[in-house]
Amino acid sequence: MEQFIYYLKVSLISIRRAPLPYALTIFILSVGLGVFFANATFYYQLNSDPLPEKSDKLFFPMLNLVPYECSTDCRTPRVLSYSNVEKLSQTDIPSQAAAMYSADGYLRQRADQTPLPVSIRITQRDFFAMFDVPVLHGSIWPDNSARPEVILTKATAQKLFGKSDVVGEKLLLDDRNVTVSAVLDDWQMLPRLYDANNRNHLSEADDIYLPLETGYDMNYLSNSQSQTFDDTDYRQLSTQGRTGALHQLQYWVKLDTPAQQQAYRQFMTNLVQDEKAAGRHPSPPNNQLVAMRDIVSYFGGDSSDIKAFALVTLLFLLVCLFNASHLSLNRYLSNQYEFSLRRALGASRSQLQLQMLADVLIMALFTITGALLTGYGGIKLMNNLLPANRLFSDWDLTLLLGLLTVAVICSYLVTLYPSLRASFGSLNQQLKE
Amino acid sequence: MITLTNLSKIFRTELIETHALRDISLQINEGEFAALTGPSGSGKSTLLNILGTLEQFDDGDYQLDGKSVKGLSDAALSKLRNEKIGFIFQSFNLIKDFSIYDNIELPLRYRGLKPAQRKQRIEQALELVGLHARRSYLPSQLSGGQQQRVAIARAIAGQPRILLADEPTGNLDSLMARQVMELLEQINQQGCTILMVTHDPDQARRAGRHIQIIDGQLSDAVLYDPLAAQSA
Repeated sequence: MEQFIYYLKVSLISIRRAPLPYALTIFILSVGLGVFFANATFYYQLNSDPLPEKSDKLFFPMLNLVPYECSTDCRTPRVLSYSNVEKLSQTDIPSQAAAMYSADGYLRQRADQTPLPVSIRITQRDFFAMFDVPVLHGSIWPDNSARPEVILTKATAQKLFGKSDVVGEKLLLDDRNVTVSAVLDDWQMLPRLYDANNRNHLSEADDIYLPLETGYDMNYLSNSQSQTFDDTDYRQLSTQGRTGALHQLQYWVKLDTPAQQQAYRQFMTNLVQDEKAAGRHPSPPNNQLVAMRDIVSYFGGDSSDIKAFALVTLLFLLVCLFNASHLSLNRYLSNQYEFSLRRALGASRSQLQLQMLADVLIMALFTITGALLTGYGGIKLMNNLLPANRLFSDWDLTLLLGLLTVAVICSYLVTLYPSLRASFGSLNQQLKE
Repeated sequence: MITLTNLSKIFRTELIETHALRDISLQINEGEFAALTGPSGSGKSTLLNILGTLEQFDDGDYQLDGKSVKGLSDAALSKLRNEKIGFIFQSFNLIKDFSIYDNIELPLRYRGLKPAQRKQRIEQALELVGLHARRSYLPSQLSGGQQQRVAIARAIAGQPRILLADEPTGNLDSLMARQVMELLEQINQQGCTILMVTHDPDQARRAGRHIQIIDGQLSDAVLYDPLAAQSA
């Protein structure tokens, strides 16, 4: 240890000899790494798996069950009708299942108050268990039947009541009476893969949760994606929405084993065959069962702008590495005499490599500091340029450790070649000069 | 102590081969003070570098303390240099932003000595060269003669078996050169073997043995006198 502290001291003395080229090397490396860090943050967060334990067990089934025969575009609709969901629910193969959509509404405690605009997730009981939603107070609805009960997020409860424990409180949701049955703890699934349509997975979680049947009874139409294939008046959702061809529901099932997944696929095939036999499925079969981890790419929601940035910043980092390495080489070659002297006095190449490690450590410390500052500034800039990705700009421990590792590797690469060149120089020539 | 047998060294470029040393056979015994002389380009520095394992040779054999250095790994050669050989260079080769103490400590650090052992050896060496009071000075704060005495202290602090000095007084005036020579003689009297490259006939005469090299070959032991060579 004492020897390594000595190596650190020697490194600092060496920096003091030529501080400007050293500072320039650190600056170039910090800028390259900082820009890379900023982009890597978004890339990592956008491509992270929010439920790694179950993302291969949650599936999104889609049926081409529409009342017309397609001729050109036979893609399966991304959303399902109420009756299709009912048909898909007529099996106990999935251990959990939940249909859902989102809508906008206004919430207040009393009619004389200014209403609070809220986003509503209209869903079923299993939603909360499937996506690991934490409950702070109260309990989730006992079944999927209609009930005038809402579940609030902690933030919404505090906004309305100034506290979080508000179970049993009465509210007006678009001027209809509802009761608070539960309050959720802080929760933000990122990316929000259960709602990947139209890149909604990039947005924040909803404010309140309403039972699906109640949502239909209250005539809430989807605010994100809906398709209709007949001329029914869907403003009367509570009556005609349940039987007509309005497609607005996303449906998720939990299939725990490959056998369950295979069985569910077979169930969907049989369902389509029955529908075709009954004359209700004029289009060719095109069933889809997409795993949650693949849903964004299936919907074409990959962030191509971030991917393009990733490539550009990687190239920029390589250019910075090359330049920093060149500067470092000049610095080491100007110190080659000292390397030769140390070797003549008995330092082996491996001892010189330890000296190099001390150089790497110091360079990494400076570089990491500079890169984190530059990266932080870069994230702020990208949040202004691409506000849709704003939620994905946080650093977690895994990401930080990864970034620190990249910085140390870059510092090592910038130091490795120059130091090897310097330590393999001709001893006698350097010492004679 | 040092035995060279038919040692040769060739410098090669794309166009020419230069035979720097040809069939050198030489024995240097323990405790000797030998002067190595010869005209510029005769191969004396090359020979000194090979003896110091700073340079490889092509043919022949070099044995130090009865063991051949041929084929030794980088780590083994480094250990050999660190433990058995002390270097004194013409241009001192002190690290300018290290204190005198830190400069002398350099080879001792690579030997892995404990701080107390290093301190003891450094202080003994500083005492011998008479610079104990200036241990915290930087080299630039010392005269040329004092800097060379620091270099000698660095060389002897490791208690080497042989001291290789490449024109140690070449950059010094006559007074300082005489002081350095007296110091080397004192070190030799304490039992350390010394091989010194020099152009100065007076210094060569002061050594107990004179080895002359011309055109890469050992010559008869006649003192090479550059003034005589010029007039001839």
